[in-house]
Amino acid sequence: MRRRTLEGLFGSPGKGRRLGLALLLITLTVNAQNTPAPDKEMARVQVMISHAKKDAEQFLKSGGKPGDAKDPNLKWFKALWKYREKYREKQASSPATVAATVEALRLLNRAERYSELRAKADTLKPDDAAWKQVFYVLMSAASKSKDYSYLISKAEALAQAAVDPEIKAQARFNIGDAYWRTKDNDRARQAFQAVITEYPGTQYAEEAEGNLREIEFLNLGQPAPEFARTTLAGDSISLDGFKGKVVVLKFWGTY
Amino acid sequence: MAEVPLLKELYAQHLDQGVVVVGISLDEELKPLQEMVTSKGMSWPQIHDADKSLVKLFNVKGTPTYFLIDREGKIAAKDIPMKRLGTAIDDLLRK
Repeated sequence: MRRRTLEGLFGSPGKGRRLGLALLLITLTVNAQNTPAPDKEMARVQVMISHAKKDAEQFLKSGGKPGDAKDPNLKWFKALWKYREKYREKQASSPATVAATVEALRLLNRAERYSELRAKADTLKPDDAAWKQVFYVLMSAASKSKDYSYLISKAEALAQAAVDPEIKAQARFNIGDAYWRTKDNDRARQAFQAVITEYPGTQYAEEAEGNLREIEFLNLGQPAPEFARTTLAGDSISLDGFKGKVVVLKFWGTY
Repeated sequence: MAEVPLLKELYAQHLDQGVVVVGISLDEELKPLQEMVTSKGMSWPQIHDADKSLVKLFNVKGTPTYFLIDREGKIAAKDIPMKRLGTAIDDLLRK
């Protein structure tokens, strides 16, 4: 089950997202006819991505195991990476090159080829525009393989070597997140604190503050934070008022 | 929304055992929320967290997210999947 992220859900509700995708496809088609270069490239990459998705679904349905020699994710990884290699000098930051790079690495992750994934990630320059999304891929790989050491050392290196403040901030944030997931709360706190001090006002600083609060106050066995609100039905309720009962809080949305 | 019937069942089963369900909606708009609460027959209290203050208070990162709070007001589970919720509630009720 893939959960919706807050970013996704505050931005556009589900139906809107589907509509947005339809509009994007229309835009891509229209643009492909009028203006040549960049969107045509993006369309090429999108075609590879959708083939990869279909092939992978087929493969899993017919009982294929991730990472098998026949795993189509490996074939499409190669195609997408080849695309990246072709354009990485001239158009490293073009949306098509970034999309091809990210998707190629995502496919390696799906095929559970972690060492190959690490080797390829190592070839990205510190300011490669793909890093923003590659971090998510590396976090997912770390979580699946229960080994955060590569992610942490890579993020440490990028926090130093990158120039783009967004990549630097994200690197620090990922260090915090990785340590937190390995239950090294002291190091997690340090990293999150660094994000807040060094990159104030950013999305990463805001998330780091939330995580710091969670590390301090939202552990199992701690008193749940008290709140009082009025319900849709007009009743005043508070958590304190429910003492003596077991309470289920469900955060949700209609989207 | 596949989880709504499950939660409804769970709510009905535990209603008289001192279990409260509170829905906290992150919807931007009130209207679709009101409509769904009515159409799906969600009879538990609903809060519209329009300013995201409860999201912030509980550091919620996505939906759906469940928190389970014991009789003393302590956090018994956070970010627990729906399918484990029933057992976790029963465990708390036995305490």
